[in-house]
Amino acid sequence: MKKVAIHERPGWRQYAESVGFDFHTFDGEAYWDESAYYQFSLQQIEQDIEAPTEELHQMALSLVPDILADEQKLRLLEVPEPYWDWLAQSWRTSQPHLYGRLDLAYHGKGPAKLLELNYDTPTSLFETGFFQWVWLEDQMMRGQLPQGADQFNSLQDKLEQAFATMPLRQPCYFSCIGDNIEDKGTVNYLLDIATQAGIDGRFLALEQLGEINGQLVDADDFPVQAMFKLYPWEFMLREEFGQHLLTSDTQWLEPAWKMLLSNKGILPLLWQKFPNHPNLLPSFFESPGEASLRSGWVRKPLYSREGANIELIDPQGNKLTVDGPYTDAGFIRQEFYPLPKFDQSYTLIGSWLVGDSAAGMGIREDNTLITKDSSRFLPHIILD
Amino acid sequence: MSTSFKRSKKAALILMVPTATLLLAGCSTEEPVETAVYQNADECAAYYNPPAECQAEFAKAQQLHAQVAPKYQSQAECEADFGAGQCETPATTLAQNTTAATTGGTATDPAAPVQQQQASSGFFMPMMMGFLAGQMLNRSGQAAPKQSVPTQPLYKSRDDMSTYRTASNQPVARQSGPVSVLPSKMQPQPGSMVRRGGFGAQAQQRQTMSSGG
Repeated sequence: MKKVAIHERPGWRQYAESVGFDFHTFDGEAYWDESAYYQFSLQQIEQDIEAPTEELHQMALSLVPDILADEQKLRLLEVPEPYWDWLAQSWRTSQPHLYGRLDLAYHGKGPAKLLELNYDTPTSLFETGFFQWVWLEDQMMRGQLPQGADQFNSLQDKLEQAFATMPLRQPCYFSCIGDNIEDKGTVNYLLDIATQAGIDGRFLALEQLGEINGQLVDADDFPVQAMFKLYPWEFMLREEFGQHLLTSDTQWLEPAWKMLLSNKGILPLLWQKFPNHPNLLPSFFESPGEASLRSGWVRKPLYSREGANIELIDPQGNKLTVDGPYTDAGFIRQEFYPLPKFDQSYTLIGSWLVGDSAAGMGIREDNTLITKDSSRFLPHIILD
Repeated sequence: MSTSFKRSKKAALILMVPTATLLLAGCSTEEPVETAVYQNADECAAYYNPPAECQAEFAKAQQLHAQVAPKYQSQAECEADFGAGQCETPATTLAQNTTAATTGGTATDPAAPVQQQQASSGFFMPMMMGFLAGQMLNRSGQAAPKQSVPTQPLYKSRDDMSTYRTASNQPVARQSGPVSVLPSKMQPQPGSMVRRGGFGAQAQQRQTMSSGG
């Protein structure tokens, strides 16, 4: 694993915009960064990323029935009680799931450590599955990269297969907050792939979703039979239409049971069930009124996105916090594990799953140890 | 170099690239049907239709009105879509029906008790602005279309007061008179109490860049 500088493709910004990648730069800061790439060996990818990703995924799946059968665990995860039966029903009826992303700390050798699971609303999908793929093809064509270079990135192929084969009611609506440019980009990408797979997919801004007698309806008042939503389940349960989830005859992507696995409380539950697993870090639920954070620990809200509300103290006692809006639920504590540092940047690996198969990765860089929404995305290659 | 690649074989986009979207343009094989739009029974008769038929079709549309009109919980929500003073409760419908029935020469209105029950539910709906005369015109020996066009009430929305629309918001015509429509677009649905905007509040409160992670 190494970081290598490379010339940017001339005109890549115009190309990005022509394919709907409008958020390549945010607030004047680069988000897509192709001034360098990361290089891995095939063995690093297959042994240290791909195989542990599928193993960790199976471990996480094994927790779902445990949680559903245990009232105390449901309370620890702060799942509202009115939704318990509905949630269990989505698992019992094997509602299919589409995708997820594991965030891993990996130094090029030794076991990758699981920092968290993004199993409900994972993003950076388009950057990983499409734009990074095109970058590799372009750079090989331009002779900037050797012909034998490859990439751990079957994301788009696997998503298309998933849409072509999963039992999905149609039309399927693809939804997010209508004015969010990044989420819209991700949803458009999935809608594009689903369409290529033959799905009757349509965009619907989440705010446009209607309700008639407990049934969610589209803009023309027709029942919504299936919906992909890029919006957190924990928000939906607590909003005005939450109650209608219980009565609406609607298939959801991700299915309701995925909310259990996108909760940070899954990290202590994994550690309880698989103590000392090489890819896991010690994690615990924080008790109310517990003493302040000690050196070498990280504190994360049960519900959090993009590094928000994370507090970290490294073994030397250096403290780092990111403010955010997720202060209304419990916290977990996870043992500190350093991200590798390349030049002046800390590097995080996002390892994707489609269904239950590992499907590729995307790399994020930040100037700090906490990876955030604004962290840069860099492409990678496999080359031995 | 490995024989099996770890990356996708292709990465094509068909929707996100604007020039390619034409591929998806659907083509309909449905035949349009000739029908007509009138403001009321008098206008219908003024287009040389038999006055009795006009009256009957208008009454049919009025009867459907309470069933199919979009329903709102408050007057303000209804007026946001249909304009100030353009909404009513089923109670006022009753009053208008009675007037219409009286001018039409009918002594009693058998639907009145039902409508009084509905009035107690306290919802709001747009006023009927006209009606689609169904197949009143289709009596000249033409073959019947596969799907018929039912007589039904029409409405006008606040943002487009010149267009007659069905209860499910399908534009029909910009003026009274004959019009050709696709039957599949003109099937009345039971009008129901729709509410919107019940998801998305937390994203507004938290104002993050993305709802994902």
